[in-house]
Amino acid sequence: MKFSIYRFNPEQAVKPYMQDFEQPIGDEDHMLLDVILRIKAQDNTLTIRKSCREGVCGSDAININGRNGLACITRVRDLKEPVVLRPLPSFPVIRDLVVDMTRFYAQYTSVKPWLINDEPPPEKERLQSPEERDRLDGLYECILCGCCTSQCPSSWWNPERFVGPAGLLQADRFIADSRDRATRERLDDLNDVYRLFRCRSIMNCTEVCPKGLAPSRAIESIRLTLLKEAL
Amino acid sequence: MRRPLGGLTPWLVQRLSAVFMLAFIGFVLANFLVDPPASYEAWRAWMGNPGVSVAALLSFAALLMHAWVGLRDVTLDYVKPLAARVAVLALIATALLGAGAWVFRILWLVRA
Repeated sequence: MKFSIYRFNPEQAVKPYMQDFEQPIGDEDHMLLDVILRIKAQDNTLTIRKSCREGVCGSDAININGRNGLACITRVRDLKEPVVLRPLPSFPVIRDLVVDMTRFYAQYTSVKPWLINDEPPPEKERLQSPEERDRLDGLYECILCGCCTSQCPSSWWNPERFVGPAGLLQADRFIADSRDRATRERLDDLNDVYRLFRCRSIMNCTEVCPKGLAPSRAIESIRLTLLKEAL
Repeated sequence: MRRPLGGLTPWLVQRLSAVFMLAFIGFVLANFLVDPPASYEAWRAWMGNPGVSVAALLSFAALLMHAWVGLRDVTLDYVKPLAARVAVLALIATALLGAGAWVFRILWLVRA
């Protein structure tokens, strides 16, 4: 199977280039990450981030044939040849397939992704009804791999000011939480032409999310909550 | 907190204006299918009807507001230097207001 992989090493004064690799695929080969690691065994200068290798940590998010995804849960035999592997679009490249996620995490932190509740905590825990808990489904599962934000044109144009789909999904996770007491402040922070309203419902985020989440639906939910607050 | 560029309001304006325009386009098309005007005079008389001309005026107002929000958003994305941005927005606003005045004049003349 033919692979074409993006190579860049800032320590060498060479422009980024695509390097071709040929790798035989056997019956025992399932996921793309396994094959990438085999290529790395032959050329150990190839750099990729990975950890859990089972779609839980989100480290190995890369652009596979033009589409963001996790190498560890992408079936290699479903891919069209040559398999073109690039780092996440629009993120600064550190080396080869490894990108700098600083700006992504800064946007994530800006929505205060933690429970805000100044009321004295009960003896045991803050209870939720099963229905209140259900509202968090589809929001809390995000692993922050960056596939959505990296594939979002609105984030490409305004990465410093638009929160991006991953951050907004997390914002909705806390807006929807019955135990949180900062809903109004959260909505007020997002009611801005850049932070929330750069989203044009392009929906690449929902299209590529490797966990099957729908950031576009979360963004719509924030807009509708804002509308209800305004009325 | 008040923000100069707004958040929810322009988004809502764009959606509501779209709904109004869609309804008006549907109304005009339905009218053409059911009872097409036989001549220019009949078309003029129909447009001169106060209900129709007010609806047309509102629909064009909706179109202009819709276009303003859309073009403003494109400008915010692509024109970053402040002076250039203000100039482009002023140009768009002038063009849209001019178009609005022109529509008003046409509808006024049809009414007479």
